[in-house]
Amino acid sequence: MAAQTIVQTVARTLAEEMARDERVVLLGEDVGKRGGVFLATEGLFDRFGPDRVIDTPLSEAAIIGAAIGMAVHGMRPVAEIQFADYVFPGFDQLVSQAAKLRYRSGGGFSAPMVVRMPAGGGVAGGHHHSQNPESHFVHTPGLQVVYPSTPGDTRGLLRSAVRGDDPVVFMEPKRLYRAVKEELPDDDATIPIGRARLRREGDDVVLISYGASMAETLKAADALAAQGVSADVIDLRSLLPWDQDLVLERVARVGRVVVISEAPRTLSFASEVAATIAEEALDLLEAPPARVTGFDVPYPYAQDRAYLPGPDRILRAVQRVLDY
Amino acid sequence: MIGNVRRFEPFGQAPIRVIDDDGRWVAPFACDLDEARLRAIYRDMRRARRFDERLSTLQRQGKVSFVASAAGHEATQVGAAHALDAGRDWTFPYYRDLALALALGWPLAEALAQQMASRIDPARGRQMPAHPGSAALRIFTTASAIASHVPPAVGSAMAQKLAGRGDVTLCSFGDGATSEGDWHAALNLAGAQGAPAVFLCQNNGYAISVAFRHQSGSADVATKAHAYGMPGYRVDGMDPLAAYYVTRQAVEHAREGLGPALIEALVYRYGPHSNADDDGRYRPADEVAAWRRRDPIARYRRYLEGRGLWDDAAEAALAAEVKAEIDDAVRANEAAGRAPLGWMFDDVFADLPPHLRRQRDELAAAHELERDGH
Repeated sequence: MAAQTIVQTVARTLAEEMARDERVVLLGEDVGKRGGVFLATEGLFDRFGPDRVIDTPLSEAAIIGAAIGMAVHGMRPVAEIQFADYVFPGFDQLVSQAAKLRYRSGGGFSAPMVVRMPAGGGVAGGHHHSQNPESHFVHTPGLQVVYPSTPGDTRGLLRSAVRGDDPVVFMEPKRLYRAVKEELPDDDATIPIGRARLRREGDDVVLISYGASMAETLKAADALAAQGVSADVIDLRSLLPWDQDLVLERVARVGRVVVISEAPRTLSFASEVAATIAEEALDLLEAPPARVTGFDVPYPYAQDRAYLPGPDRILRAVQRVLDY
Repeated sequence: MIGNVRRFEPFGQAPIRVIDDDGRWVAPFACDLDEARLRAIYRDMRRARRFDERLSTLQRQGKVSFVASAAGHEATQVGAAHALDAGRDWTFPYYRDLALALALGWPLAEALAQQMASRIDPARGRQMPAHPGSAALRIFTTASAIASHVPPAVGSAMAQKLAGRGDVTLCSFGDGATSEGDWHAALNLAGAQGAPAVFLCQNNGYAISVAFRHQSGSADVATKAHAYGMPGYRVDGMDPLAAYYVTRQAVEHAREGLGPALIEALVYRYGPHSNADDDGRYRPADEVAAWRRRDPIARYRRYLEGRGLWDDAAEAALAAEVKAEIDDAVRANEAAGRAPLGWMFDDVFADLPPHLRRQRDELAAAHELERDGH
């Protein structure tokens, strides 16, 4: 199979899952004839028809709420929120209904469903096309949250999300939608939710990131290599649950760590990772864990690129932990 | 439509009635319910009222932490329940729907287990009282967040439409819910999808203390159906047969693929919003007294007595039977004890993830320390 982008992988994986299991249906705004504004559902309406690729009214509460009701009936809905920034009218459905359904019914009901949402900045979209709201979902017990950064991880995690028995917030790095290509083997392999991936092995510092910021993190690792600094690079891929074991194992080995996320710093997922490292591995650290994140401002427009944790800011943080 | 006859026109001026306040049949069609069904409707209302009264007692005794009485709502809830095919159709209730859930077959001991968070609660003590739900009976588990169950109810109806078996979803809520964005989003989606959903608004005139005239600039709720492309019916909600026949028409309409409907049942809650409320602050006592004089149970009993289907002996037998049933349920739940600590970490996900396993162990260790006297 030819190399494919992340967004092509989403469409192909959804097609495969729909062919594999007739309970899988898609719903959202423009997911039908339009094929999604990013073309993440391209061709699916023609192939599977309007009963399985449902164009809904412009209402995130209706999209997510309807997905919950369908999931309760044993269907496997995959809802698309056009931009993660627009999930908030449907936030109550995720928080009050989907996340708590299994718990509050003592396991009598559950919501096996996926809510896909392109997230992240760097696309000249201002604060309503650029945000990274993952902390809201990670902070809501009952939701699984994933945020892959490669076509292969997108496929393996999307398969797990669709086939799993819990609601999954599936964040997609829209800045990387067409920036990364990968040739994928013709298999049916899944990637378990909760397992991180070691992207590089190194001895001097551990860089931990996920989602769109993986691209900048890898660029920083390349720049470090040119300076003779070897970096371990972990792609978390899953944020809830997240792979504490791999993180603590690699951090214990190297003793220096920088966590990178483009979400605002306060209560960011990077903060959770840094706090866990400090709590569990303080005596193995050579320097305090450092965070490189977005700033605690509404996502800016004119300063879009400066807001993102780019290689320069990552390198400054690495220097700090190396010099400590 | 009932037997191909559409009995009620939507958007009428006067609330639809089948029997009047004196229990006289006033509808322009004959009753087609058998005697067993007519008695069952009475029994379900009376039983729910008695259970409701006992819950208030249990609350004062400290055995139940919260009560949201359904007294005054029984006719609508029981009438609607009898219009459904229980166990086949789905119901999405709100917190005041105890009579509805009981009439759909929710076992009384199980209902009490939910109120007491006892060990025999199938929902495992996860919810505060007044939150009906039963997977076995297709009664969606109640959420406190007002109107948050209405979009999932539409998803349920969409799933039923795709399955093509003619099943329907009934979604119940109060007048306050109609102000929520989720309510509008859901009815709009149901209209666009032609989903087989029946929306039942129990308009008791107050959302806690806020009167309906402050809830909406609309004169009533039923009118709102126009905007969603579905029929809207206003019903005398203190008349169980009006609630039954109008719901039945809406259910049959939905079963036949003709789409959703909105029913506004005019009811009154006799008590405060909950045991934590003081309704004397916002509604006059004579208003409460006037509605109590229209009590649906007394009114319906007059109808049954007029047909020779009920008498004092039947009433006494029912009272004894219900008292024994409630006494047994109280005993069973007290004997079972409260939901144990260890259940706190179950059912968050299908499988226990590593971080929850660690937190469960942390809690267990803390309790071990307490037991050791540290």
